[in-house]
Amino acid sequence: MQQQVANAAAAAPMGRPIPMVTKLAYRNLFHDRMSLVVTLVGIVFSVVLIAVQFGLYIGSEVRIVAMLDQTKGDLWVVPYATKSFDDPNYLEGKEKYGVLSTPGIANVEELAVNLVAWRRPNGGITAALLVGSDTSTNKALPWDLVEGSIEALRAPDAVAVDRTYFGELGVNKIGDRAEINGISVTVAAVTDNIRSFTTLPYIFANITLARQLLGIAPDQSTYAVVDVAAGTSIEDARKALAQRLPDTEVLTLQEFRKRSTDRWLFETGAGAALITGAALGLIVGVVIVAQTLYSSTKDHLNEFATLRALGAPASYIIKVILMQATLSALIGYVLGIALSLVVIWASRGDPSLLIIMTPNLAMLLFVLTVGMCIFAAVCAIFKVIRIDPAVVFSR
Amino acid sequence: MAEEPMLEAKGIVKYLGEGAGRVQALKGVNLDLMPGELTLLMGPSGSGKTTLLSILGCILTPNAGSLRLARNEASGLSAEGLADLRRKHVGFVFQSYNLVPTLTATENVMLALDLRGSGMSRAGALAAEALRQVGLSHRAHAMPSKMSGGEKQRVAIARALAGSPSVILADEPTAALDSENGKGVMALLAEVAKERSRAILVVTHDHRTLTYADRLIRIEDGKIVGRARARKLVKGSGSAGRAH
Repeated sequence: MQQQVANAAAAAPMGRPIPMVTKLAYRNLFHDRMSLVVTLVGIVFSVVLIAVQFGLYIGSEVRIVAMLDQTKGDLWVVPYATKSFDDPNYLEGKEKYGVLSTPGIANVEELAVNLVAWRRPNGGITAALLVGSDTSTNKALPWDLVEGSIEALRAPDAVAVDRTYFGELGVNKIGDRAEINGISVTVAAVTDNIRSFTTLPYIFANITLARQLLGIAPDQSTYAVVDVAAGTSIEDARKALAQRLPDTEVLTLQEFRKRSTDRWLFETGAGAALITGAALGLIVGVVIVAQTLYSSTKDHLNEFATLRALGAPASYIIKVILMQATLSALIGYVLGIALSLVVIWASRGDPSLLIIMTPNLAMLLFVLTVGMCIFAAVCAIFKVIRIDPAVVFSR
Repeated sequence: MAEEPMLEAKGIVKYLGEGAGRVQALKGVNLDLMPGELTLLMGPSGSGKTTLLSILGCILTPNAGSLRLARNEASGLSAEGLADLRRKHVGFVFQSYNLVPTLTATENVMLALDLRGSGMSRAGALAAEALRQVGLSHRAHAMPSKMSGGEKQRVAIARALAGSPSVILADEPTAALDSENGKGVMALLAEVAKERSRAILVVTHDHRTLTYADRLIRIEDGKIVGRARARKLVKGSGSAGRAH
């Protein structure tokens, strides 16, 4: 017989055979198609809901910090107790010179930002956020221009608006005129999809015009954006600036980003709502997968009891259940992520929605999906490890 | 020199149930299974046959007494220790076959081998050989739902055989089979018992199985009430009592 086995083994097909645990899990999973469909629907629902909620969260974060990321700058000198970029006050003035006289500073540019009243050409006033920058520097705003140019903003009354706000602002092309705080302006450039988290339209202008429209002094601004000289540590520069400018706050880019996102996503509850939505998706997924996996395990209880009677250690049976959960997770994840991408693609038509899928989010979703399914398998595992193998004799 | 039993049970006592419903299912059972012998365990319903089989197969633990299986002491082992012992030394054949319905005949046999830690390639070869031994090579890729009762029981025997266990315990293996298939299954078990390393115990009500036995043990009310060698059991049977 040994020789026959050796011969048969030699004649066996090459390639790595599928492990028995995987085969059993796969067959159990596909044995009851309806149960599998319910499981996958649960996982897909969960993946899509979490993807959309987290995608909206990331989209919100991107919008909140878009100006900061675009302007860059190692350090930001901001009015004391500024909560976010969109919640501005004014510096006292002359901070630029204080910054420039501080050792280790390479460059500083000012931004003048505040709320303004935009009078539409055909009547009616709407609130907007005016952002003034020096359009002759590398920190000039805006970006993503689809009509006109940065240079066009150097004209005395030139402003740029985003085309997704045309309806709210009552303009629709370059050359259209409106009033800001009672002063006439002309649309000289148009951007694409630069939108604020608060939904207030951004209006971009050269800083000289912006100061005029905001009614502030020619040396006054909202923020001073600082580049630290090569070879100087950002932290050292920050400390030096904080000492020289005691009535302001000096924040690193990361600190200002965090302060802005915390303000809008957590102090307003918007982020908490998105995270709660994602958590609900996770809970729904766990409940559905737990229910169907438990049901599937009950359906196959006799087989598990037989395995136990044949001497299978508890770990072997647990592996089968976990493999079933993992296979469900893998299939559900692939379907869920595909559907999420379709949803994200479909949402592109609505500029108010910004749902972003990143590789990190896709990875997080994968980990969450597998974790969710494994967690959901706990009930089934408890059921199966308590099987009395003696039941195999009672049937 | 006397041969050592493959399985040796001494003074097995087992209580079932709790409180007022507690009953003594086994009352000091002594039993040996010798290599190369097919032993029948017969008795009326409720006599303790299945309880004894479960204890001999290390599925239940006795309240008193000792059990040695292939020179291994089973008393005092944990649930996992008992599982390890039956995985290594016991093959089971069940009345309802207990095949995994989602696996083919070959895969059902391979599953038992996988539990024993055989590599998948080797398990495939061993399973093919076991199925050949029970005459089912042509049904190797059939699913249980497409097999007759006799075929399923032969797959179950192949599964029990494949790991070369010291002891095979069969619970009413012919109960769900017609006469022809029942004879086939018993003949196969008798053939397997010929290999000196195997001891086979068959729990049965079926008197047609007597012709295949080397020994008969009768159990009633939790006690062994009779033991006999095969040649005394079957009138006019051939030598060694396996006339068929």
